[in-house]
Amino acid sequence: MTRRSSRRRMAASALALVAILAVFLFRLVDIQVVHADALDAEAEDKRSIPQTILGVRGDIFDGTGVLLAHSVLRYDITASPKTAVKSAVTPQDAAERIGKITGQNPADIVAILADAVKANPDSDYAYVAKKVDAETFEQIRALDIPWIYYEAHPARTYPNGAVAGNLIGFVGSQNEAQAGLELSEDSCLAASDGREVYDSSADGVRIPGSTVVTQQAVDGRDLLLTIDSDLQWFTQQTLASYAQKFGAAWGTVVVQEVKTGKLVAVADYPTVDPNDVDATASTDVSSLGSRAFTAPFEPGSTFKTLTAASLLDAGLATPDTHVVAPYRYAPSGADVNDSEYHPTWNLTMTGVLKESSNTGMAQLGLFMPAQQRQDYMKKFGLGQRTEVGFGGEETGDLHGDPADWDAQTNLTTMFGQGLTTTAVQMASVYQTIGNGGVRMPVSLVSGCRAADGTVTDTPTGTGTRVISEQAARETVDMLENVATKGWLASQVRIPGYRVATKTGTAQHVDASGAYSKSYIVSLAGLAPAENPQYVVSVTLADPVKMNTSGAAAPIFREVMTQVLKQYSVVPSGSSSPDLATNY
Amino acid sequence: MSTALATAPLRRPTAPGTTARPAAPVAPPRIEIAPVREQRRARPRAVYAGVVVGGLGALMLGQLFLSIALSDGAYTIDSLQATQKEQARQVQQLTEDLGRLSSPQNLAENAEALGMVQNANPVWLRMSDGAVIGTPAPAQGAGVLSGTGSQVANHLLTGLPLVTQIPAQSATSGQPAGTSAAAQLPLQGPLAAPTTR
Repeated sequence: MTRRSSRRRMAASALALVAILAVFLFRLVDIQVVHADALDAEAEDKRSIPQTILGVRGDIFDGTGVLLAHSVLRYDITASPKTAVKSAVTPQDAAERIGKITGQNPADIVAILADAVKANPDSDYAYVAKKVDAETFEQIRALDIPWIYYEAHPARTYPNGAVAGNLIGFVGSQNEAQAGLELSEDSCLAASDGREVYDSSADGVRIPGSTVVTQQAVDGRDLLLTIDSDLQWFTQQTLASYAQKFGAAWGTVVVQEVKTGKLVAVADYPTVDPNDVDATASTDVSSLGSRAFTAPFEPGSTFKTLTAASLLDAGLATPDTHVVAPYRYAPSGADVNDSEYHPTWNLTMTGVLKESSNTGMAQLGLFMPAQQRQDYMKKFGLGQRTEVGFGGEETGDLHGDPADWDAQTNLTTMFGQGLTTTAVQMASVYQTIGNGGVRMPVSLVSGCRAADGTVTDTPTGTGTRVISEQAARETVDMLENVATKGWLASQVRIPGYRVATKTGTAQHVDASGAYSKSYIVSLAGLAPAENPQYVVSVTLADPVKMNTSGAAAPIFREVMTQVLKQYSVVPSGSSSPDLATNY
Repeated sequence: MSTALATAPLRRPTAPGTTARPAAPVAPPRIEIAPVREQRRARPRAVYAGVVVGGLGALMLGQLFLSIALSDGAYTIDSLQATQKEQARQVQQLTEDLGRLSSPQNLAENAEALGMVQNANPVWLRMSDGAVIGTPAPAQGAGVLSGTGSQVANHLLTGLPLVTQIPAQSATSGQPAGTSAAAQLPLQGPLAAPTTR
């Protein structure tokens, strides 16, 4: 072996070595640099599993801690059709067992699978049942069918059904807020989902320490209402029974705490069961919310209380102010009359309220300029949304600038025609009068409670004085005389308690804008009158079988009796003052 | 190392000029490196190697067992989480059942099915002086639902039987033994009342 040949061999080896190294280097760069991202992602996909951490939407509680809306999980049952048709557990066999649990027709389930495979032989996904509850889910899971899978979804359930359904509202199929407090208080209730990624072994077990939470789930906060669900139920039940008895198109009852302005019951008829929204939505979309907030109407004679209270506060009249009330009163450009013909009466202001005389009230109201009267209405909270801010809440309409009122409007606005209010606004007027002239902010939500127990968004609780204490007291005294001496005296009497009421029968504007033959009847009152604690305000629209406020009287009496009983209000132990009604 | 090396004493050659002894074969002088005591001691021993290898082995075993324990824990966690999920579902189901059963619609219907009526005439007993406020009168007949039935819908109650519609057999079988027997015993003598002052 010569020296030369050995050198040549060495060179060849070196060259081969460099070539091999170059190949390795190329591969290294190719993997680590050129395809790095794609390969990384592929590797991640193979072992790491991203998962959504469900944030839980907040619950809704009533004022006594009763659960009204609750977040739950519902389960979709899905199947892999392509596996099912080849499986040892045949679709037919499985469908019979699933059908027994879900109540589905087994043939339908088989058809779902067969159709899916027919449409696409590789079909790997089909719904067998949607949104089943935990019990059904557990039963189906126990069947251990290999080609059945499950998906959990957050959903909402309302244990008390239609109790306060008008207020709570509901969520849609994707758990998104759609109506009522669910919608208007969504900022309190809403949760946000989080995300986590973990590595799993071949058999699907999470590898310890591999979990990375990329985004924390945030649970929603709980919403606390002022509503009392038992009273709310009783009120709804009573309202619905009488509304049907009298053939009313719709009705509302508002129960408000006088000292605090809290709404303890707001009943609507008809109303929605948030568990079964379709049942109402398919027949009557307008009954999905709360008309007590969203349907302003001409209040009629219950409004006379406000006019009388304003006159008393301004010192322009007393309960004993005399007025001659004919059947018809027609000063220039105006023409008002009472609901039924009567000979001319000599009435005091108390008597005007007792007889609900439009002509008497029209003359008394003229003591006060229209602008001042409207200022009082605004101070009582009319013409603007209440502090509740309910979804779709209406302001009511005080008929614009009083300077533009014609002579007729000037008179009708004294007894509640030619302007509109909502049922809740009217309850608030009576609350103000019952509370010594101090209007408390109307509240439906008492707060938003975070997980650590801190409550935010609580109502302010500071009232505003609208009329003097004396004017308020005198107004209540007059209303007591209406209750004891009016034509509904026997029907609104609650043994042991002093009650103050005022009725209303207002003409209803039909679609064409003209007054129709239908009426909105109402009755609002306070009890116990010597120290008012609660307002009950009843409104029935177009009760065809009894077109007077007599239709509202039994509802008022039964609801007020229940209120006094439930809140242990001690009987009055005194009798109502006896004011002169005529002279 | 080299500086520590010492040499063994050399055997001196006989001085020149001395009487030569009979000539004997002279062995060539031997030179060797002799380690000092410390060096002998510093020499590695087999036991050390054993310790190192054994230690490494123990470490690897430890790691193995730790890994076994960890993955065993993972399976425990996994099964416990599955149990927790199942129990959460049970809690949810029971909460839903309780909510449905305690809804006012259900309570009222059951109460009235059992014959309860409401008394719309509240009467109060004042504790301070025992005064009766109001005029006691027996309830007159009707319940809240009577005549009209439940007007407040609750879809969740669909298909739920009233207590009066549940067959007696299944109603009693749900009770623990003993209470049902006791409930059937006729009451003897006056009702026992606590003595409260």
